[in-house]
Amino acid sequence: MAAIALIRAAALVALMSGPAAADVAEAIDDVITPAYARLADAASSLDAAAQHDCSAPAMQAPFQKVWDAWAYIDFLRIGPVEEDGRALAMAFWPDPKFSGLRTQQALIAGDPGVIADPSRFAEVSVAARGLAGLERLLYPSQVAGDETAFCALRRATAADLDRMTLAIAAEWPAHAVLLQAPGDANPSYLSRDEARQALFTQVVTGLTSLADTRLGRPLGTFQKPRPERAEAIASGRSLRNITLSLTGMRDLALALHPDAPQTRAAFDRALSLSIDLDDPVLAGVANPQGRLKVEILQQAVEAARAAVEAEIGTALGISTGFNSKDGD
Amino acid sequence: MRSLPLLALFFSPSLAAAQPEPSPADVVGTYADMALAVYEDSVTTAEALKTAVDAMVAAPSPDTLGAARAAWTAARVPYQQSEVFRFGNPIVDDWEGRVNAWPLDEGLIDYVAEGTPSAEDNDLAQLNVIANPVLDLSGETLDATTITPDTIRTLHEAGGIEANVASGYHAIEFLLWGQDLNGTGPGAGNRPFTDFVTGEGCTGGNCERRAQYLVAATELLVEDLQEMVGNWGPDGEARKAVTADPQAGLHAMLTGMGSLSYGEQAGERMKLGLMLNDPEEEHDCFSDQTHLSHYYDGLGIRNVYLGRYTRIGGTEVSGPSLSELVAKSELAVDEALRADLDATMAALTGLRGKAERGMAYDQMLAPGNAEGAAAIQAGVDGLVKQTKSIERAVAVLGLNQIAVEGSDSLDNPDAVFQ
Repeated sequence: MAAIALIRAAALVALMSGPAAADVAEAIDDVITPAYARLADAASSLDAAAQHDCSAPAMQAPFQKVWDAWAYIDFLRIGPVEEDGRALAMAFWPDPKFSGLRTQQALIAGDPGVIADPSRFAEVSVAARGLAGLERLLYPSQVAGDETAFCALRRATAADLDRMTLAIAAEWPAHAVLLQAPGDANPSYLSRDEARQALFTQVVTGLTSLADTRLGRPLGTFQKPRPERAEAIASGRSLRNITLSLTGMRDLALALHPDAPQTRAAFDRALSLSIDLDDPVLAGVANPQGRLKVEILQQAVEAARAAVEAEIGTALGISTGFNSKDGD
Repeated sequence: MRSLPLLALFFSPSLAAAQPEPSPADVVGTYADMALAVYEDSVTTAEALKTAVDAMVAAPSPDTLGAARAAWTAARVPYQQSEVFRFGNPIVDDWEGRVNAWPLDEGLIDYVAEGTPSAEDNDLAQLNVIANPVLDLSGETLDATTITPDTIRTLHEAGGIEANVASGYHAIEFLLWGQDLNGTGPGAGNRPFTDFVTGEGCTGGNCERRAQYLVAATELLVEDLQEMVGNWGPDGEARKAVTADPQAGLHAMLTGMGSLSYGEQAGERMKLGLMLNDPEEEHDCFSDQTHLSHYYDGLGIRNVYLGRYTRIGGTEVSGPSLSELVAKSELAVDEALRADLDATMAALTGLRGKAERGMAYDQMLAPGNAEGAAAIQAGVDGLVKQTKSIERAVAVLGLNQIAVEGSDSLDNPDAVFQ
């Protein structure tokens, strides 16, 4: 399937005229393509580790590496991650009604054939698979079951992550070709501006979402902070995911338009606040001093978003397109 | 776009000569007129719902309950077509949560089955107003001896939790249908009419209070909708907001179309439910009428573009359209967008037909139901594709350089660096 997509994309390039955009090319070659390669490698190691030893202690380190690789590029929601709900399945969150937990519990109680058959497991709810699903199996959670059931489900989830990340890495080059060869025959991007706008929108939307969701959910309100609503608390990754995602967005923004001093400065500030924040699961939001630090980080992220829009958007003559976070 | 298709190059100038160009002011005028009509129709059908609810409460029976449910379904027809006005118009968006909030932790309102999933940390998910005349809202006491529209207003989003939906269409839907306990299997909510029988024969307990709640919620819905009619009347604030600066009005129109198409309908309401196989993610989960909601949302998007809304009585509100304006700028973009909107409506018609022939929307969400999944996915694909064309319409009208709502950086680029 991926091979066919590549051939079709190559044929398209041959049909299309116009020079490739250097800025888009840099975003692809320097940031996105290597990120997906690292992700697939990490998931492959996780799968191998799981097959060797499916105990939680043995799988935790390779699990953390996969999430490191994903967090760096998780804001990007175009191309193969949008197929079959992969981006949702990679790390489904937030899950306010515990859809993933309920599905995993049903899997443990139900037909063992689903867990045993990779093609059937691939059809399971996105909330129950991926890193969020595996986190509940490797760290303390509400999922109940014996070690045999957990082992089988851990292996199935790791194998499914391997399958998805391999598909993403294999199919990405075809989308990269579309981004670099806009034109009337291109089904996705008619012009260089549309390709740039698509990448630009990913950064703007990613920053908005990081501020509103990854930081906004635990912040709650001053009267009622919600530290328990932070992402990936069980695996201790709440802040780490924020730092890595900011890094990926900075890299993409500056690849798209390197001559952006305000953007660079705004990202540097947000990143240094995030790196220096000694609060791995953002538990500090529950007390006034800790909350203030997280609020300052949130403001810095918002300032980075504003800088990207004003500086890069203006320079490239583009504005934010519609995105998957529109709506409520 | 770098190059125009030849046809457009040859024929658009002659078309320009043949037809007077609609001005942006004309186009936003049509838009405001359509909004007024769609909210007026929403009031009319909500009043009919109120009449049917009053009749059911006065004499509960399978027939009167059926009539109230039918009135609810009819009331959704204009309202869903109004949703496209929500995005891009802050006045509508700020108000919308009162009338159409979803999903809800219905245990706030009435009895629910054991094990009903609710939002995390929602202390009020089992509040059950109908069973409890005096309520403890996180330390504050609320006297709900008589359930009035004010009681419902106070309870709405109680504790700052969005899932505490006390008012609007979906609260009423829950009271008329009850919980759908069939998961992804056949069947909708099946609340018996006896839940509203006062005195002997009452089921579910507190029937009088349940009737009180339903009547008050319906009354509140009518009031809220009337407020929105006022906003789009001759001196209404929402009308002024889009007509004062027609360019900003055009931007609001396209923002509404694009945001509803992509993030909201294709994403949040359709794709997510499909990816989760979870009927908790169904929009009209009590009545199983999600297919109609999606259909009329899609129709509303097309209405805005074509400048044409068919009222509940069958008359048409129409005028100079966004479509004509885009066609003047670039015919190919208009043609593509119209084709995309039609394709989406074909897909949503297919989805609706499938549901009406017996496969309810929640059944389509079942794991392994490839046929159902394909029907939903076709709608998602159509909506995603039209979003791209909507972005192109924004670009050809030169609207991508104007300020995005609430974005300080674009309103005033220097503000960022101060």
